[in-house]
Amino acid sequence: MSEIVLKIEDLSKCYNPGKKEVRCLSKLNLEVKKGEFTAIMGPSGSGKTTLLNIIGCIDKPTKGKVLIDNIDVVTLPESQLYKIRRDKIGFIFQSFNLLPYLNARENVELAMELAGKFKGERTARANELLATVGLSGRENHRPNKLSQGEQQRVAIARALANDPAIILADEPTGNLDMKNKQEIVKLLANLNIKQGTTIIMVTHDSQVAAHTERMVLLKDGKILKEKAGFLQAQKANAQQQTQTAATSQSN
Amino acid sequence: MGIFTRAVRNLSRRKIRAMLVVIALGFCMAIMIALPAGIAANQAAAEKLTGDLGNTIAQTQSIINRTMTQIDVSLTPTMSQGPSVSSGQSGSSGGPTTSGPGPEYGGGQFGGGSAKPMNASLYDDIANVSNVAAVAPILQVVEGHNVTEHPSMIINGVQTETGESFNVTVPDYIIYGIPLDSTLIDSYPILPTNITEGRNLLPGETGKVVLSENSSAYFGKGVGDTVSILGTDFEVVGIYGSTGVADKQLAYMNIADAQAITNSTGIETSLKVFAANSDVVSSVANDISALHPDLNVNTAQERLSQLQQMQSIYNSQLENAQTTMNQTQTQANGETLIAVSATSVIVLFVMLYTVRERTKEIGTLKAMGASNRTVMSQFLLEGIFLSFTAGIVGIAIGTVASPFLSSILLPAVQTGGIVINAGTSQATTANAYAISPELILIGLGASVLLGVIGSLYPAWRAAKIRPAEAMRYE
Repeated sequence: MSEIVLKIEDLSKCYNPGKKEVRCLSKLNLEVKKGEFTAIMGPSGSGKTTLLNIIGCIDKPTKGKVLIDNIDVVTLPESQLYKIRRDKIGFIFQSFNLLPYLNARENVELAMELAGKFKGERTARANELLATVGLSGRENHRPNKLSQGEQQRVAIARALANDPAIILADEPTGNLDMKNKQEIVKLLANLNIKQGTTIIMVTHDSQVAAHTERMVLLKDGKILKEKAGFLQAQKANAQQQTQTAATSQSN
Repeated sequence: MGIFTRAVRNLSRRKIRAMLVVIALGFCMAIMIALPAGIAANQAAAEKLTGDLGNTIAQTQSIINRTMTQIDVSLTPTMSQGPSVSSGQSGSSGGPTTSGPGPEYGGGQFGGGSAKPMNASLYDDIANVSNVAAVAPILQVVEGHNVTEHPSMIINGVQTETGESFNVTVPDYIIYGIPLDSTLIDSYPILPTNITEGRNLLPGETGKVVLSENSSAYFGKGVGDTVSILGTDFEVVGIYGSTGVADKQLAYMNIADAQAITNSTGIETSLKVFAANSDVVSSVANDISALHPDLNVNTAQERLSQLQQMQSIYNSQLENAQTTMNQTQTQANGETLIAVSATSVIVLFVMLYTVRERTKEIGTLKAMGASNRTVMSQFLLEGIFLSFTAGIVGIAIGTVASPFLSSILLPAVQTGGIVINAGTSQATTANAYAISPELILIGLGASVLLGVIGSLYPAWRAAKIRPAEAMRYE
């Protein structure tokens, strides 16, 4: 049985509590296994981004528990929470959010610098990650010299820098054209398959979501339903082939 | 690429804005540096003046003490008496004369100054006064150039000449002939004191001069040089430093030489009379005054009283100057406070604006795991770097424009008739405004401190921004 990397119990979030209350998430429960690629879908206002922000420890729920690697992050003070964000979470944003005064490598290095890693180690890892996302030779370019697809690749490399437990992607393809959209989804799927990276992606694009392993549909702050994505079938096939090969080898 | 590099790069992102802010802050810093420099320069100038006046008074006092038995006798000049007479060079029209419509002792005005020639009978009459121990004849001739003055006044808004024009001699140097008689110069203070180079005149010596520092500079001659005075060559044997106001332009020489070169054989312009002792000075002075009403008789006691009066005036002027200096200090303190406040406020607003402008970036940093301390440090560093750069610019501006800034910002101080004002002072030089290394260090330290003060609140605000809100900020 796969390890649970994220467990959400009875999660509620409302804005303006006690006044003109706006309920955003309501008694939501969710579990994400290690190595799973999950898409959270839903219409605008369904609470997708709020859920992602709470998982990413940049927002607090009104009620409920959020356990990341069995640590209840809801009860942690800010003095501890930043370490969870730094070590356990990797964020990918819709508008990339790269620092414009740093080049691609420096943007990736920054995440590691915050984690206190040494310069040599940072640079080697940043170069390796940029190569992984297909940006070899573009390391010294600043964001304004990169295409939007390239910028999002840098953001993905940055999110992977500290080898986090979960990658949280908030509409990562929202600002991209069709070609780049497909490439980024493919890249995320490859990372998930090859490196076993746990990814939770918020999207309103059903085509993009279909390429994941598991689709969770939110409506009015609650999970309406869950569906399997293409990736689940691919992973099952791959696993079956591996098992068959192993059996024939042992015979 | 550490936090320092990020702070520097952030500032350089908007070059023009950063430059304008740095210049504005730089001027504030320059004012902070220029004011103490100006105050120090004014203080130094006031102290120099006080010192100069104090020295002059002390030297004069010393001379008076040495000459307590000395009575200076000369004829009161009368403008109507005889032609203006000098030695016959640049500002003169012929030899002096002892005859004329004046009193029996003398005639024309001599050398355009206060001295008037006397004749030998006056010498004898004074030498015969009871209790007179010695009489030293002096010939003093002012050499200068004539300037024609046209008396005028403004009538109905128009500068109008009133009365006849007249010549005024602007002195270049003064020939000062003294008797080089050993009995006189050994016993009485006749020779110049305060010889700074070479030696003094010797008994019976002719063809030699001792110049004051001023006249040495005028002739461009030093000890051992030959100087031509009214066409006659003299060897400069010594230079003396001034011991008072009246002896700054003198060229001491044997009276015989002085009389020869000025065509004044047998003539003297004043007498130094020495009483037998200080107790009889007043009675001797009275007896001399009784000889003729035109005689100007001046005792050391009178000179002492004049000196005390002068000292009192100087003291009062210095006191006024000190009061003004204190007011200047207060004003400078106020202006410095304004500059300090302006610097902090500029840094505060610039950094607040920066924090607001970069809210989303702060959110991103926090989402990536930056601690509150990291965010705060970065913005604090940016503020300090901005202010430190302004400090360097301010020191550069202050070094160049310190006299100008001080003259604008500090009031003028009047001291003994001399205006002390930063930048335009007669008593201060550009060197006086040199920005000392201590002031540079203080300026840089202040710039860092003001950077911290100005950016502390914006940096704290940046650190306290909640990441979820920051991410939503547009």
